[in-house]
Amino acid sequence: MIRPDELLSLDIDELFARLNTSESGLTSQEARKRLETYGYNELARKKKRTAIVRFLAHFRSPLVIILLLAGLISGFLGEVRNTAIISTIVLISVLLDFYQESRAEKAAEMLSEKVRTTATVLRDGVRQEVKLSEVVPGDIVSLSAGDIVPADARIVNAKDLFVNQSALTGESFPVEKTSASLKAKNSTITEWNNCLFLGTSVVSGMASAIVVRTGSSTEYGRIAKRLVARQPETEFERGLRRFGYLIMQITLSLVIFVFFINALFKRGVLESLLFSVALAVGLTPELLPMILSVNLSKGALAMSKKNVIVKRLPSIQNFGSMDVLCTDKTGTLTENRITLVLHVDAERRENEKVLLYSYLNSYYETGLKSPLDEAILRHQNIDTKCYLKIDEVPFDFVRKRVSIVVECERQRFLIAKGAPEEIVKACSYYELADNVYDLGDEPRKKIEQEYYDLSSEGFRVLGVSYKKVREDKAVYSFNDECDMVFLGFVAFLDPPKETATESMQQLSAAGIKLKILTGDNELVTRKVCEQLGFKIGGMVLGSQIAQMQDEALARIVEWANIFARVTPAQKDRIMNALKKNGHVVGFLGDGINDAPSMKTADVGISVDNAVDVARESADIILMRKDLTVLHEGVLEGRKTFGNTMKYILMGTSSNFGNMFSAAGASLFLPFLPMLPMQILFMNLLYDVANMTLPTDTVDEEYIRKPRRWDVGFVRKFTLFFGPFSSLYDFLTYGIMLFIFAATPELFQSGWFVESFWTEVLVIFVIRTRRIPFFSSRPGKWLTILTLSCVVFGTLVPFTPLGRSLKFVALPPSYWMLLVLMVATYLLLVEAGKVFFYKICKF
Amino acid sequence: MPYEDLFYWWAIAISWSSIFLIVVGIYLYTGSRKRSNLPANPVKLSKNLVFVWILLGLLVLYLVSIHLGSATLFAAGNIFVEAILMIYILKNRTESEQIPPS
Repeated sequence: MIRPDELLSLDIDELFARLNTSESGLTSQEARKRLETYGYNELARKKKRTAIVRFLAHFRSPLVIILLLAGLISGFLGEVRNTAIISTIVLISVLLDFYQESRAEKAAEMLSEKVRTTATVLRDGVRQEVKLSEVVPGDIVSLSAGDIVPADARIVNAKDLFVNQSALTGESFPVEKTSASLKAKNSTITEWNNCLFLGTSVVSGMASAIVVRTGSSTEYGRIAKRLVARQPETEFERGLRRFGYLIMQITLSLVIFVFFINALFKRGVLESLLFSVALAVGLTPELLPMILSVNLSKGALAMSKKNVIVKRLPSIQNFGSMDVLCTDKTGTLTENRITLVLHVDAERRENEKVLLYSYLNSYYETGLKSPLDEAILRHQNIDTKCYLKIDEVPFDFVRKRVSIVVECERQRFLIAKGAPEEIVKACSYYELADNVYDLGDEPRKKIEQEYYDLSSEGFRVLGVSYKKVREDKAVYSFNDECDMVFLGFVAFLDPPKETATESMQQLSAAGIKLKILTGDNELVTRKVCEQLGFKIGGMVLGSQIAQMQDEALARIVEWANIFARVTPAQKDRIMNALKKNGHVVGFLGDGINDAPSMKTADVGISVDNAVDVARESADIILMRKDLTVLHEGVLEGRKTFGNTMKYILMGTSSNFGNMFSAAGASLFLPFLPMLPMQILFMNLLYDVANMTLPTDTVDEEYIRKPRRWDVGFVRKFTLFFGPFSSLYDFLTYGIMLFIFAATPELFQSGWFVESFWTEVLVIFVIRTRRIPFFSSRPGKWLTILTLSCVVFGTLVPFTPLGRSLKFVALPPSYWMLLVLMVATYLLLVEAGKVFFYKICKF
Repeated sequence: MPYEDLFYWWAIAISWSSIFLIVVGIYLYTGSRKRSNLPANPVKLSKNLVFVWILLGLLVLYLVSIHLGSATLFAAGNIFVEAILMIYILKNRTESEQIPPS
């Protein structure tokens, strides 16, 4: 292991020798060996549990443990059949749960592989992309702007390298890094300017570096070890946790209450314990984790088909709940491809000479080509054969222009292109319709006005000028840029995307407010918005935000939808203000400076071709930078949310009601209303019926607007719909006792069938808000499985399985009353829906 | 009547569950009226709480038919209530909305 002082001070060659590597990097074989020696380059890699461990983990539930224990005791007391049945039912439940969850996990893993971040390393002397987790000490990595530093490394060479290491050191400004050796032995890592650290990112420049430490041995790894690296809970997860506590409290009170009442009635401690625990099992939505995982992974798969990859599964719920989307303008609403749109003279008349001269200037310029040069060269192919380059006066930030000298047919021209105000300064003449005039005060003002007008219209503008050069010399300088002829302007625009207007309308129709947060100026932003038909509700500048208190900003973010010239820190403030106002905020970005905002947002969204740091920070990756894809993804997110809510609402209504009536019955009945194994069996059947719930269809009007987790709504729903099922359970007790004079076995069989029918069939009523419920078509598999379960549950009392569960055959007249009773129940719940949804909005 | 000694307790249990439901319904209804700041209107109130009247009617039907041990009364009463509920549901049916094609 290299010591810190060695890392800083060793010569590169010595470092190569110490790490047994060279400038051409490691061989693939050596890299594999090192991967085995040093392990994966990951911070505290989450240990993948074996299948058997994951299976056994399902038995950790206290309820399952108590059930198995009680069953075992019952076996010791002679009820061996009881023990066998209870154990089998528990085992089948756990197996189902385990199988579904494993499938969901596998699907999610496969999806995240699609957007795995890579690093460029030299292996076998060739540059190649390897997974970030497979980088090993001794690898030579190549880095450029936007890259994530894949491990702790010493710089071999660097050019204009600036690194953002705020995640590690808290420094808010990028730090310059060089390859020079350092001698500071006791310095802190903020002074280690020849080292790069895992988790930081390159802001500008490029470098190659030798990897020294990976994974948990890195500086970042040491911090991560101390902190429990845990993603913050989403709003949905938080809501679910609270819901879990609520259910736990109710279950616990119920178990204690039922146990003591039954034990007091001298039904035997063991039987009472089994009954109360079975009731608790019935009450607990134990399938919820499985339904949630399957729902999320199914949602993620559906989204991937629509070119949206989910990196963090729980974010799907937030994605569906998102009601404000903050986005950068460039590349999302615009093509992110600067295009030449005008080449005009001083009076804004199209002029081919302006195009030719600007083309020659861009063509022969040897400095770094700007996007504007590229736009000019892309605009039209112009034959430059006639023009021979003589010299060039490069661009600098004082003159803000670049000049070239070309010769054509023995005539030399100096052609300048640059910031219009600087171009005009070098001119004494101007040209209109091939005539050259003196550039007096009046035409100069007109040219300046034209420049101002073009800029106001949102164009990026460059001026073009030329002069005929009389002296034949080899080298020209900026002193030659005088007495030039002003020729005209070239104007550029980043054109709006063709799909942008339609996508914005779709998002708006889906209840998502779009807010543009851009570093660009207000004029350009306004122009793009006009072209897109985006209604500007209010425009706020970064300079205004800088002077605003948070309270004022909180009010402004509600109506303003354009924030121009904003810094990344201001983007954070805007999003925090929106979140505080109760919105679920998404942020779509692809740049280096977008990464912090993505973390601030409830849902960070990026694109596949974004810089590494942005992709790493994002929860969701769009495979196309297009809002249409986003809209489709949001709808999928809402479907996932909808199906999860269905399970919760059903679980807390019918299930809840059934179990409460069982508890109530145990108060006055001289026998148990249902045997513990019968309750468990019914619970298992109900769970099977619910397994296809993630495949269910969701009503179009439900996904029309964002929905949010609302524990208050769940509580109201439970309080209201729970008693319906209790009412009909008590009615069944009455029929069984007072009409059929039922024996305990007949009573239990009768209630089992009624309870199961109502519990399962009500799924079709509750799954939709539509009245009548059959106007919403349920999913094919849900229908098939649910009805199959109903048929199976109905036939069970007539089978040997039923007999082993101590069921008996029911009289024909009971079936007639049951059909009538269940029909009334379903209609009553439907009528309850009319009433409930009129007064409870969700 | 078989299990005659249990009838009293059973009547309490079933009445409790329907009254609980009615109370919850009224509680939710008044909560929503408060939120929307609407003045109380007795005529509208009785119309809006049709569902509560149906529940009370059902409770009476179940108590009486079970007490008499009459399956016929029970069946006839259920069919009658189902007809009323059907009318109520059809009168309040929602339009199936269409989302614009994406």
